[in-house]
Amino acid sequence: MELLRYTKDVFGQKMLVGVNWELLWIPGAAAGLVIVVHFLLRARRRAR
Amino acid sequence: MRSDQTQTGVRHRWPDRAFHWVMAATVIVLTGSAFLPILGIRFDWVPIHWISGIVLVVAILFHLVRVFAVHGFREMIPGPEDIREAAGDLAGRAGGLKPAKYDAYQKSYHWASAIAVLAVTITGVIMLLKIDTPFWRRDPSIMSDQDWGVVYVIHGLSSLAILFLVILHVYFSILPEHRAMLRAMIAGRGPLFARGNTHEQD
Repeated sequence: MELLRYTKDVFGQKMLVGVNWELLWIPGAAAGLVIVVHFLLRARRRAR
Repeated sequence: MRSDQTQTGVRHRWPDRAFHWVMAATVIVLTGSAFLPILGIRFDWVPIHWISGIVLVVAILFHLVRVFAVHGFREMIPGPEDIREAAGDLAGRAGGLKPAKYDAYQKSYHWASAIAVLAVTITGVIMLLKIDTPFWRRDPSIMSDQDWGVVYVIHGLSSLAILFLVILHVYFSILPEHRAMLRAMIAGRGPLFARGNTHEQD
């Protein structure tokens, strides 16, 4: 899966058009991972 | 001597609270109007997006005026004490730190979100030149297609970073141990210090 999206201009040259929106799930997944890790560490610290 | 966590007062004045909530509302509207169409929910998102973007720009300018004229940078600049705090926290040690209005994590979050929001806002303002509004006519010829691509990439990557930061911000703000901070951002009064052991009130 590529980070960026490209298209071709009228001369057939590769042209940058933006971020690949198929990566939209990554910020949500990354935030979810941080939350789970923090929640587990917090629970462990409180259990001590 | 009193514990800093219980030493309360006006933590956030109303102009700063107003900025925070205006920014929160605009960021929610901006992310919703940007990402919902990508997820397949169709609506005329462009006017909603650029108008709320203008509101965000005004809010940021207001915040910068407050920073330069009222608050200064000192409370938000990271320093050795913040490194000590984070290192101590990771090692399971606590205490022995000088009192501070913002702890190392709050400062880190602030600067991460400041960089992401400034990147998305500056590129967003440039992108306004691609649309017709009642105030200006579009003029995409100011940049090459390749340069517009770079602007879109910065706008897109910073918006993804903001999505990540907003989710974390909501999670940390609703934790029971942070509820006093959340109340302070709503009503103004709350803990004067986010870290530190003891401190005499001035």
